[in-house]
Amino acid sequence: MEKYAITVDDLHISYKGLKKMSIRSTFFNKKNKEKVDIIKAVNGVSLKIEKGKILGIIGKNGSGKSTMLRAIAGIFSPDKGSINLYGNSISLLSIGVGFNKKLTGRENIYLSGLLLGFTEDEIRKKEKQIIDFADIGKFIYKPVRMYSTGMHSKLAFAITAILETDIMLIDEVLSVGDIQFRKKSYNKMKELISAEHRTVIIVSHSTENLKELCDEVLWLHNGKIKMIGKPEEVLKKYEEFMGN
Amino acid sequence: MIQKILYNFKKYKFLLQQLVSRDFKVKYKRSVLGILWSLLYPILMMAVLAIVFTNVFKFSTPGVNYLVYLIIGLVIFNYFSEASNLAMSSIVSNFSLINKVYMPKYVFPLSKCLFVGINFLLTLIPLYVVIIVSGTELNIYHLLLPYVFICLFMFTLGMGLLLATISVFLRDMFYIYGIIQTMWLYLTPVMYDISMIPENFQTLFKLNPLYQFINFARSIILYKNIPTIGQWAGCGVSAVVVLIFGIYIFRKKQDKFIYYV
Repeated sequence: MEKYAITVDDLHISYKGLKKMSIRSTFFNKKNKEKVDIIKAVNGVSLKIEKGKILGIIGKNGSGKSTMLRAIAGIFSPDKGSINLYGNSISLLSIGVGFNKKLTGRENIYLSGLLLGFTEDEIRKKEKQIIDFADIGKFIYKPVRMYSTGMHSKLAFAITAILETDIMLIDEVLSVGDIQFRKKSYNKMKELISAEHRTVIIVSHSTENLKELCDEVLWLHNGKIKMIGKPEEVLKKYEEFMGN
Repeated sequence: MIQKILYNFKKYKFLLQQLVSRDFKVKYKRSVLGILWSLLYPILMMAVLAIVFTNVFKFSTPGVNYLVYLIIGLVIFNYFSEASNLAMSSIVSNFSLINKVYMPKYVFPLSKCLFVGINFLLTLIPLYVVIIVSGTELNIYHLLLPYVFICLFMFTLGMGLLLATISVFLRDMFYIYGIIQTMWLYLTPVMYDISMIPENFQTLFKLNPLYQFINFARSIILYKNIPTIGQWAGCGVSAVVVLIFGIYIFRKKQDKFIYYV
C-alpha cells in the first residue's frame, strides 16, 4: 500500500498569452512580435499528499489554485515537473459535464458518467442510486431541456456525487437546489470527503468550510507555496494577510 | 506502447459508442421522419444532381450508365466532405468538455468520422437501388469494395485530425476549408470523366487520393474489372500516409489545445 496518493514535484505551468493574431498585427506591428506574454500560473510547487487526507487550498484570485487542480486532473499538461497519482482514479468535480439538452436525463447520466471517465458497468450499477438521489421523479425520462434550473443542477450534482473516485478534486464546495436539497447535497459532500480511503483536494475561498473539512491547508500565493500546515495556523495567517 | 493503445481503446470504446449514438439521437430528435432522413436526404440530393447533370448539362460517359457513375463519385466525396468538416470543428465545439475533464482528445474527430460513416453505409442502399434499376450487372468483385471504404475512412480521419489541429490555432480555417472543399469537388472527377481533362494534366489529377478511391469503386461497379496493382497501392498508400501524418500532428499539438480554445 502506497503511503502517498498524490505527489507533485516542481510543477510549472504557464499560459502563453493569447495574443490576438490578425493581419494587421502580423504585418504592421513587427516590434510587438518579440513580446510574448507569459503568465506563470503555477511556479515551482512541490507537495505530497498522504492517502485519505483532505487538503484545502486557499489563496487570492489568480494565485494558481484552479490551474493546479486542473493540472492534477490531467487537463493541463505541465511545462515542467511531474505529477504522480500512483494509479488512483481521479475526478474533478464539475457539474453537468457534457449534458446534452436534447437527451433525456437517463441518457445524460450515461454520457456524463462516461465523459467523467467511468465504465459502462460502473454507471449501470450506480444508475438507480443517482436517480434516487437526484429525486426529480418522472422527469428523468424527459429531455433535459424541459428541466427547471434546479432540477438540472440536482441531477448534475447527483451524477458527480454518486460516481466516486479515489481522489476527488473540488473547486469550491458545491451546494445546489432548494433548501432541502442544499442540505442534502452539503451533507453528501461531507460524507464523500470524509470517507476514509478517499484523498481530497478542495479549493475554496471560505475559510470556515476549510476549517471544518480539512486536515491540512496550503496557501498559494502568485503560483508559489506561501505556507502549508495545520488549518488553524495557516488560515489565521491568511486572514491576517488578507485583512491588510 | 501497443498494449497501452489497446487498453485505452477498450476503456473508451463505450464512450465512442455513446458519442456516435448521441449524434444520431440529437440529429433526428424532433424531426417527423427521424432516421428515415438518413436515407431520404441522399436520395433527394442525388435526384436533384442527376436531373441537372443528365438533362441540363447533358453529361454522359461512353459505355456505362452516367447516373451510376455520378452517384458513386458523389457518395464517396460527400462522405469525405461531411466527415472532415465535422471532425474539424469537433475539438473547438467540445471545448467546454475538454476544459473540464481529461479524456483522449482524438475521440471527438474519430466519433464524427464513425458517425458519418454509418450514414455513408446507409447511402449505399440507394446507390445499389440505382445500380440495379439502371441495369448495371452486379459481379463478384463487389466484395472488394470494403477495401476502398476502409481507405476512405482512414484518409478522412487523417485529414480530420489535421484540420481539427489547425482550426484550434487558426479559426480562419473554417472559412478557408469551405473554399478548398468547393475547389476540391470540381478538381475531382466526380461529375466528369478524367478523359475530359487535357492529357498532360491527367497525372496531376490522379495524385488526388479521392480520385483514387472513386476510380477504384468505379472500375469494380461499372467496368467490372479487378483493380490494378497501381489502383490498390494508390488507395492504400495515400490513406496510410495521410492518417499517420494526421495522427503525428494531432499528438504533437494536442497538449496545447487547452490554451487556445
